[in-house]
Amino acid sequence: MQDFESLLKSSAAAHGHLCPGQVVGVRMAMLGCRLIGLDEPTSRDQIKKLIVYVEMDRCTADAVTHVTGVKLGRRSLKFMDYGIMAATFVNLESGLAFRVLSTEEARDLACAYAPGIAEKYPRQLEAYRRMPNSVLFRVQQVEVNLSEFDLPGPTRYKAACTRCGQVVRDHREVLENGNALCRPCARGAYFSNAREITWPDMNWAPISLEPNNSAEFVKSET
Amino acid sequence: MLKTIKLEDAVGIKLAHDITEIRPGEFKGPAFRKGHTVCNEDLCRLQKLGKNHLYLIDLDENEIHEDEAAGILAGALAGEGVAWENKPREGKINLFADRDGLLVVDTAALAAFNMIDEVMCATLHNHTLVKRGEQIGATRPIPLIMKRAPIGRAAAIAQQNGGVLVVRPLRKAKAGLMVTGNEVYHGLIEDRFAPILTEKVTALGSEVSGVTFAPDDAEIISEAIHSHLDQGCDLLLLSGGMSVDPDDVTRQGILAAGAAEMHYGAAALPGAMFLVAYLEDVPLLGVPACGLYHRVTALDLVLPRILAGERIGKKELAFLGHGGLCKDCPECVYPHCPFGKCS
Repeated sequence: MQDFESLLKSSAAAHGHLCPGQVVGVRMAMLGCRLIGLDEPTSRDQIKKLIVYVEMDRCTADAVTHVTGVKLGRRSLKFMDYGIMAATFVNLESGLAFRVLSTEEARDLACAYAPGIAEKYPRQLEAYRRMPNSVLFRVQQVEVNLSEFDLPGPTRYKAACTRCGQVVRDHREVLENGNALCRPCARGAYFSNAREITWPDMNWAPISLEPNNSAEFVKSET
Repeated sequence: MLKTIKLEDAVGIKLAHDITEIRPGEFKGPAFRKGHTVCNEDLCRLQKLGKNHLYLIDLDENEIHEDEAAGILAGALAGEGVAWENKPREGKINLFADRDGLLVVDTAALAAFNMIDEVMCATLHNHTLVKRGEQIGATRPIPLIMKRAPIGRAAAIAQQNGGVLVVRPLRKAKAGLMVTGNEVYHGLIEDRFAPILTEKVTALGSEVSGVTFAPDDAEIISEAIHSHLDQGCDLLLLSGGMSVDPDDVTRQGILAAGAAEMHYGAAALPGAMFLVAYLEDVPLLGVPACGLYHRVTALDLVLPRILAGERIGKKELAFLGHGGLCKDCPECVYPHCPFGKCS
């Protein structure tokens, strides 16, 4: 793993700005990976061993994902919308899992660790660099039961919603009287009043096939 | 875990903790010690102490008793030069200076330690001069029994820089004294600075290696500084010539001598025009004339810290500000006053 300052620099660039959350997130990820025994989480041989649950969608989450290399689309990143400054690091190979929580008292202690800085954010930025892990974090050893349908890899199961026809992957359907329903149909959704529309330039595509080209394409295929 | 039992059912059990008795203005201490086996004769006294129930302790492996926790906390808090005995009284362990010196408190780590619900530690002020055997702090866990994890975390925080409390010994410096000013050099007035500075230096266990007098001439002051260094002084106090008059050229003399680092101005009154410079790593302290009149000035706040090995720079002089105002009491009781207590 790169050193802290290098990771902080690249994390801030990826996130868009350097902020106290970046410092906390980079340190949280470094600690979490160390606890589960992964020293190069983004390397080819370790990347498939790691699952990270982030419990907040704040600056810290971006730093954690940047350092660990976990991604939503690879199913190595799980977002739990708890609003808690915490992340859990799971080693799929060993089963070890640690939940690292950012302490609330660290905010109050910023003035003690960086007393010469008057402004709040620069003070937090410096203080969170100076605080030892024991002050900045609490750690819980936890058990995480991942079902096979939560693991990375190909889709293992599909079902169609018996109300709207939408295909639902990985057993995220809900059974109601034995019928499979997608979650929006079964429980309501974050959106409402959905109605299909048409829109201008509906036929745009990144690669436009000219009629002649498509004819040639068809010809060569045959 | 703790189980509560009625007092009348308690005969024959061992007390889980010391039971404190307080008689206002007369006595405060343990009426019964932890481990004491309760007998029939005790029941009446326990009732008078307001005890109608007692605790039975049944610890699981994740729990810890206050006495064991207190020992872990004290061991983690105590850095070099700090002594303590693993004999908690009413759950508390006192920390003592194990040598004469300067108490240095890691105030950030102390605050972080005390942020943990289950523990507390209170100390004397940072940078207090202490004698061997003097109490400098105390710690105790708050609950009677608690989880081991927060005690372990508190201990880790306390140990982060070698303990929260450290007593640093003062080195025995060979201090050169230089009194500047034409009025003294030419004998127009009698010097009174050298005896005052000599007393301050020797009171801290150092010795005066030599006293020189210099006129208000930067070049002569510079030569005299080097003369002191050549004779082996490892601390130099310069008095006079620290103010804003055209005749005040001590600073120029220090610069001409080749000081690598100079900080002029301290956030303390008296002592605003105090100066710290370093030449070949020897500290040069410029003492303004207020040192002739006031018993305690910025010099008294800084000198013990220099002798304890601290390098004083701009930040340290600036941080004197909070608590750096002497109340100028008719009868000075320093160090038993707020002056210099918050840096």
